[in-house]
Amino acid sequence: MKPDRVWTPYLLVAPAFLVFAFVVLLPALLNTGLSLVDWSGTNQMVFVGIDNFTRAFRDDIYLTAYRNTFGYIGLTLILEVAVGLIMAGVVTMPGRKTAFYRVAFFVPVMLPMVVIAVLWSFVYSDDIGLINTGLRGAGLDGLAQVWLGNPATALIAVSVVSGWIYAGFYMAIFYAALQRIPTNVLEAAMLDGASPWRIFFSVKVPMIRPMIEIAVLLCVTGAFQSFDLFYVMTNGGPDHATEIVTTYLVEVVFRFNNLGYGAALATIMTVVVLVLGLIFSRIRSKVGGVDVEY
Amino acid sequence: MSTDTRRRPVRVNVRLSSIVYHTVLTTVSLVFVLPLLWMIVSSFKTKREIFDSPFALPKTLDFSVWTSAWERGDLGVYAVNSVITTVVSVAGILIFGLLAAYAFSRLKFRFSRWLLLPFLLGLLLPVQSYLTAQSRLLDAFYILDTRWALILPYIGLGLSLAVFLLKGYLDSLPREMFEAARIDGAGDFRLLAQIVLPLMRPGLATVATFSVLSAWNEFLLATLYIQSDDLRTIPVGLLAFTGKYSTDYPTLFAALSIITIPMVGIYVIFHRQVINGITEGSVH
Repeated sequence: MKPDRVWTPYLLVAPAFLVFAFVVLLPALLNTGLSLVDWSGTNQMVFVGIDNFTRAFRDDIYLTAYRNTFGYIGLTLILEVAVGLIMAGVVTMPGRKTAFYRVAFFVPVMLPMVVIAVLWSFVYSDDIGLINTGLRGAGLDGLAQVWLGNPATALIAVSVVSGWIYAGFYMAIFYAALQRIPTNVLEAAMLDGASPWRIFFSVKVPMIRPMIEIAVLLCVTGAFQSFDLFYVMTNGGPDHATEIVTTYLVEVVFRFNNLGYGAALATIMTVVVLVLGLIFSRIRSKVGGVDVEY
Repeated sequence: MSTDTRRRPVRVNVRLSSIVYHTVLTTVSLVFVLPLLWMIVSSFKTKREIFDSPFALPKTLDFSVWTSAWERGDLGVYAVNSVITTVVSVAGILIFGLLAAYAFSRLKFRFSRWLLLPFLLGLLLPVQSYLTAQSRLLDAFYILDTRWALILPYIGLGLSLAVFLLKGYLDSLPREMFEAARIDGAGDFRLLAQIVLPLMRPGLATVATFSVLSAWNEFLLATLYIQSDDLRTIPVGLLAFTGKYSTDYPTLFAALSIITIPMVGIYVIFHRQVINGITEGSVH
């Protein structure tokens, strides 16, 4: 449709575009420029070419941060996506009233992550913590430990909280997808004598495969961007055992005032996230045609 | 074949399986609810009781610890800041987003693709990828450590999704409706007010729900861009509070409860809207 006046569309787009350009577009471009300089924010900017990037690939902490991030991704794929999928399967079993459970499982998703992080720091706490007092109460003193202070358990402990938050979220999106499967398909499977478990894994899961792929993509790219839980619960510690890309980035920029280097770290991370996103969308478009049948 | 052997004990089986089913799900629900219950219950206990009997109910329900947490923690100030930041940001996202989405979806104009492209890119970019430059830019314009340091980025962050979702909803409306109104002499602003706004209510509600929760819960920018205590929003304020009273557990649990309970209350009332808003906003 033609606009009523030539300039109307530009007037309509202008407020959104200007704000967006100021806080996202321009900073994104400037950030790329910053990644090529050495700058503390106050001193003279020095052009250093790709030095910041070569430094990043030799930075042990940065590489550790990637290893931890991938570990975290692996754990959250299980604790969030897989658990969410099983929960969705359980609450969609035929003939059950599950509205209450579905509402309850989603509660953590809408709470501020900082509140959850503080709460779970107490749950894990050595002296008053729910877990340790529970273990001691059950006579299992040997298992009680400083969950967030032990390099062997810290990353798992944070991932469990992440799972506690997001399992309900993935359950909700899988639940919505499962509800869209036509009942005659499920009835046919049931008439064939398939058990509920068999129906779930052989009929329901393949049919919601596109949604599962979206969930995996969300979980992976989301894990790269997570910050709040780590910052509040461990701030990368102990001894970088829970250092992830974002916590290290914030430390480099806002504590060490190393803006150029931080910008380079951010650029690398952006490339990784975009490449992962593109790989996934390739996989999806390749298999996509098969299972859009419902 | 096997139906005959199954038929007889079926009723007992159904009841038993129902009990097992709901026991399992109730146990799982407890995993989700128990930390929150523990938080509320512990706020009414002494430090000693939290330590000695974590699962026992409190002896008295003394809300004075709640009022003292509210006052000592300046939670009122943080709450007001969160409300102002969230309301202004979400209003900006909805208004700017709807205007732009209407132009992109319904109007033909030069450079429309080029103007739309950055918004789609914004959906993919992580905040961290422009955080460093953004903080310097806000500083250069002297808006670091003011409310605008959060409001403007929140609007910018929310706009990508708002433009994308609202454009999608608008694209699905029939063309004829707009063309008929145009033939009747309606300009674009009248079309927006009289046709688009009423029809877009569900879409706007989804965007609003998602944006409200994102702004309300946002922490990274809020902790980096705001230094003045009287401008802090709830997540950052709470963290400052935690640092200050790190061993005064009952007060801390009271503060956490004060923040959590109203949100859970609102969620219980509007749970359908909240679940839809968050899931649709995330899976676009």
